[in-house]
Amino acid sequence: MDTDRTTGQRVFRRDPDLPTPEDIRERVLALEEAGEWIVQRVPQPYREVPTKYGWPKKVPLQHTWHHKSCGQCGHIPGYSTAIFWLHRKLGLDYDDPRDQTSCTGWNYYASATSNAAAQAAVAARNFAAAYATGYFPLIHCGTSYGHYKEVREELVKHGELRRQVREILAKLGKPLVMPEEIVHYSEWVYAVREEIAARRVYDCSEVVVTVHPACHYYKLVQGDAIYDPDIYGGQRTAVVTAVAKALGAQVRDYSTWFDCCGFGFRHILVQRDFTRSFAVSRKIETMIEEAKPDVVLTHDTGCVTTLDKSQFAAQVHKKKVGVPVMSEAQFAALAMGAHPYRVCQLHWHAADYRPLLEKMGIDWRERWREFEEDLERIQRGEKEYLTWEDVDAEVPARHFLPVS
Amino acid sequence: MPSDVVLVIGGGPAGLEAARGVADLGARVVLVEERDRLGGTPVFEQYAALTHGFQDAEEVMDRMVRAVVGHPGVEVRLRSKVVSCEGQVGRFRVGVQRLEDGAPATVEAGAIIVATGFQHFDPGRETQVYGYYEYPDVITLADAEAMLKAKRFVRPSTGLPPERVCFIQCVGSRDRQIGNEYCSKVCCGIASKQAIEIRQQVPQCKVYIFYIDMRMYGYWENEIYWPAQEQYKVNYIKGIATEIIRKGDKLLVRGEDTTLGRPLEVPMDVVILSVGMEPSKGTREVAKVLGLKQNKYGFIEVPHEGVDPVATSVPGIFVAGAAAGPKDLDDTLSMAGAAAMKAVAALRRAAAAGAAG
Repeated sequence: MDTDRTTGQRVFRRDPDLPTPEDIRERVLALEEAGEWIVQRVPQPYREVPTKYGWPKKVPLQHTWHHKSCGQCGHIPGYSTAIFWLHRKLGLDYDDPRDQTSCTGWNYYASATSNAAAQAAVAARNFAAAYATGYFPLIHCGTSYGHYKEVREELVKHGELRRQVREILAKLGKPLVMPEEIVHYSEWVYAVREEIAARRVYDCSEVVVTVHPACHYYKLVQGDAIYDPDIYGGQRTAVVTAVAKALGAQVRDYSTWFDCCGFGFRHILVQRDFTRSFAVSRKIETMIEEAKPDVVLTHDTGCVTTLDKSQFAAQVHKKKVGVPVMSEAQFAALAMGAHPYRVCQLHWHAADYRPLLEKMGIDWRERWREFEEDLERIQRGEKEYLTWEDVDAEVPARHFLPVS
Repeated sequence: MPSDVVLVIGGGPAGLEAARGVADLGARVVLVEERDRLGGTPVFEQYAALTHGFQDAEEVMDRMVRAVVGHPGVEVRLRSKVVSCEGQVGRFRVGVQRLEDGAPATVEAGAIIVATGFQHFDPGRETQVYGYYEYPDVITLADAEAMLKAKRFVRPSTGLPPERVCFIQCVGSRDRQIGNEYCSKVCCGIASKQAIEIRQQVPQCKVYIFYIDMRMYGYWENEIYWPAQEQYKVNYIKGIATEIIRKGDKLLVRGEDTTLGRPLEVPMDVVILSVGMEPSKGTREVAKVLGLKQNKYGFIEVPHEGVDPVATSVPGIFVAGAAAGPKDLDDTLSMAGAAAMKAVAALRRAAAAGAAG
């Protein structure tokens, strides 16, 4: 343990010689050598990021196969659109596949039916689908990310399970493939945060942010999560917070940062009122009381949905709520000039986001007028739906330089 | 001609006792210590009272240091480290470098005793959320020990005496997730000892110990465990604390009371993490230089620990104390005595073989 001579604070420095838990990725590669499966390598260019136990993790910058999230697409579609928009504006190639299935997170965490082979086969089918395209899986949903890491461990440690899954995949004409790394989209945002910050067109310096780190990101299989010595002294996961800081926003702490958002997977199904109460009284109200945030940033489907939409009912009970909640990808896109409705689709969010936009200097009234015009064009039959052409030309091109 | 010198590496309790033992048996000792004074972890970490017998740690260590420094058979080399080793039992040639100016020297030794000890687990590597690097009022056993020694046990954030203090046991020990599956043996005793000392120094303070199960070896049961509860009213709570957060000016400890089978959330002024033992940097470095096998945790491997607790993978090199794994002071000094006896025996066998040859 060291002490910072200026601040007197303790400073954590990792001793690389001390033993760490087993790095499952080594066994993934060993199984490839044994002929058990194909390991899909992280494509170049990638960035190495630091993780919980000090191991470097490769995060691909492009050529990524986007494993989308059921809840994002269904409830907060601006989440995934913002991720794609960031890729486009950074000039990074990606694939938005149409043959991706849901993961089995709901099944695994909630109803607990089905069996290990069926659940692992769903993950493996998606990995094989990505491998077939040559693009590398980038997982949008925190639950899918956590679940796939658990599936990876099960497959690594159980030869019989591998055999069963191989047989299932053989019926589909697919090989058993395991990615070299399992990568969450928020790790990609973390990896390109400086490029995002360099293209910021709105001032975020007056924006107060509270961060909710997603349980399924860093509490499930901790070794893969990003921990950066420069963020919280390497003692909390760095994703989201590092992005908000790079954008110049004020990140403030609150006492219940470690708590679940309330979603809890099983709770949202069987004790929905508990979920809503928890989200409001343990998270949102605490944040407001202790940090007075302009926006809550997080990085998972369930967290955005729960923290945002639980405020709706609470307003009826005159609770102290009313803080917008969005992903860091949406916030980063807004800061880079993304359209709040065409791209970030904030009209799907329950809590009032307009004060935040005004603080950032975004003319939401004008943007809303444009969006209503879009809808009228669709209504008149001039367009079937909005496309990238409708949003690509919004911000001056000088802001969009390819990542080197 | 075989050497009649035993090289002792490390000037803590194990090294001091081994050096004294070897010299008392009539052999010569060269004691190499990297720090600028003798005494080891009890001195440098400012231990207050020793867990067994509540003796003042400084007084005890002072006696041990004087027994060695004044001994005609012992040559002490401070601020020096072992950098190379060749040869075999009876004829080791060990490179010793002076840290100040890098001056090299060679020690010819017939046997070597490694007594390079342990270091406290760094809670920054913990997988639970204890906030040691975030909250000044979260401290370790070693931090608490220094305050108790100074007779000023306070909340670091305010400098005022605390009203509620808790210990969290098994931090960095018995933890499969971080790879330290072993029990560090001494933390339960030290936490109970410190709980008593806190109650003695700050009588109005309530003290709690959250534990998985208390491991009170031998006489610690009656010396520490029961007096802590019956005489000093320390509260032992069987449960796992999973996170510590700041709530106002207090720390909030969350976890599970496994006896009652329900979650717990209790405010505290000071939280003491009962950090376990890991091999010191010196132990890891010396093991490499001497070519000693290490176990998966980095401690020096003892091939037949049950029957030969001081042997290493290299004949003529012996280990004493926590360089071989978690040890209390009783075990450490017993090992040091055994290592001294084995090392001198190795010298004599080598000399006899040399004379016969």
